[in-house]
Amino acid sequence: MLLWTLTPIYWVVLSAFSTPVELYSTPPHWLPRHPTLENFKSVLITGKGFRGSKGVTATELIRKGLRNSVIVAGSTTFLMLLIAPLLGYIFARLKFKGKKFFFFYMIGMIAVPSWPVLIGLFAEFSKLHLLDTLWGLIILSVAYRMPFDMWFMQGYISTVPRELDDAARIDGCTRLGLIYKVVLPASLPGLIAVMIISFLFSWNMFMAPLVLTYTLKSKPITVAISEFVGQYYAEWNLMSAGSLIAIIPPILMVIIFQKYIIKGLTAGSIK
Amino acid sequence: MGQKPHLLFIYEGGKDVRKLKKLIDTEAGLAYLILIPTSVIIFLMAYLPALQSFKFSLMHYNVRVPWKIYFVGVKNYIKILQDPNFYNALWRSLYFTVVSVVIIIPLAMIFALTLNQEFKFRGILRAIVILPWAIPPVVNGFIWKWMLNGDYGFLNGILYQIGVISTYHPWLKNPFAALNWAILTFVWRFTPFVTILLLGALQSIPQMIYDAAKVDGAGAWSRFRYITLPMIKGILSIAIILISIYSFTVFDEIYTLTGLDPATKTLMMYDYELAFEKGKFGLGSALAYMLGIFLFVMAALYIRRISREVEL
Repeated sequence: MLLWTLTPIYWVVLSAFSTPVELYSTPPHWLPRHPTLENFKSVLITGKGFRGSKGVTATELIRKGLRNSVIVAGSTTFLMLLIAPLLGYIFARLKFKGKKFFFFYMIGMIAVPSWPVLIGLFAEFSKLHLLDTLWGLIILSVAYRMPFDMWFMQGYISTVPRELDDAARIDGCTRLGLIYKVVLPASLPGLIAVMIISFLFSWNMFMAPLVLTYTLKSKPITVAISEFVGQYYAEWNLMSAGSLIAIIPPILMVIIFQKYIIKGLTAGSIK
Repeated sequence: MGQKPHLLFIYEGGKDVRKLKKLIDTEAGLAYLILIPTSVIIFLMAYLPALQSFKFSLMHYNVRVPWKIYFVGVKNYIKILQDPNFYNALWRSLYFTVVSVVIIIPLAMIFALTLNQEFKFRGILRAIVILPWAIPPVVNGFIWKWMLNGDYGFLNGILYQIGVISTYHPWLKNPFAALNWAILTFVWRFTPFVTILLLGALQSIPQMIYDAAKVDGAGAWSRFRYITLPMIKGILSIAIILISIYSFTVFDEIYTLTGLDPATKTLMMYDYELAFEKGKFGLGSALAYMLGIFLFVMAALYIRRISREVEL
């Protein structure tokens, strides 16, 4: 199980820290004799040997990609932290007309396949001037997190005892105050799971940005990496360094919040 | 005099704020206040574009020649049904899906059963096993492309080192092999996700039942067969549905692993090529709708399953 999981990761890490001489020998050196940071330096600072289209350097591609991904994933995560508890609370606690309709309207979004949406979105985005903007990507990823996170928080909040709500209401708490001051702390593990999953979703997003962005202004790191891989001919050590940079944030997320992921995903069986 | 409307505005504004506050405090008020804007966003980001591309699917429309756009009815659909490339891509997608399910379910089951045991470092091992799931799929495609590389790749290196092969082999050259490697790439990323699902299901089975079965003399296999399996049947079917949806729609991995190579051209890749490489939005939309049918059925099954557990 460990071998299966770690071998590919080890191979990339090894390649990123190896000198070309050691990596490209037959067979390669399985442990770098002279571990080096040269590959990261080439990718992040000097931008050596990259033949990008329109004179784009590797450095620019990776740096801007990272910046864009941080903005998009950060904003999506932040917005979901605000919206998900509200949506969850609404469906877990409140009684109102059309509740069933709204629930299936949201959940039904999962059933809408991605290609038809993307082709239509391309046309729609170009009319709304959202093509190639970070805003477009943020709205899109927030919209696609909503059904899952709503459903997930709904499940979580309904396990919080109702007496807590009632006590706070009697103390004169407003409904909004109630959600953020009383219900939320009680369902914190659920919220952390929402945070991780939203972050991973928007950080790893590729198909939509591939179609909807085309300049450095808004290309996220995933798209940058795919270009990088396409244009760095056979410089596997440099490509590995770039890829490693792109996978560090999600991997850190998983390692730090491991406990919540298992709890979170299993409570909801969602992605 | 000139200031009066201004003051009035402030006064009215204050009233509105108070009204709003009151509205938020009622159950229905709060619900609608949040649900209406979010529903509009969902409409704009999912339902409207889907309708838009349905309209495209009935038209001759190439984005490269936008002035030559006209209604053709179901001609695009007929064209696709007569296209041998469509059937080839369809078989590849179905093969991809079936093989993924067949490999991932037992593999994830073994992982989950192992991780459910009590042992030292269990937490660390769980964190490690989840890792592939967190890696961006597009990077995952790169990782395996490099693993399987014919000149300096890992697989060649290790097999050469232990003496299985004497010369390096280009693993992705053979078309059928390439498709299978693409499946492996997906399996590597998706198994952890299914493992988490199954692990959660396993954790919800009370230990008492196992203890009672042990007392009655049930062996490990029959405990698994008659307690574990029936207890996790629900989550198992959800897992199968999810694997089917995600394996049928794999795009990112194949994009970096083999690109638009015909060997791994599944329906998703074929549709990307049609719509975005060649700009044929009409034909691409029609194909998107045809592959959407499969997904729609799977997703509807999924929603029915999960909504059974939701009480409204």
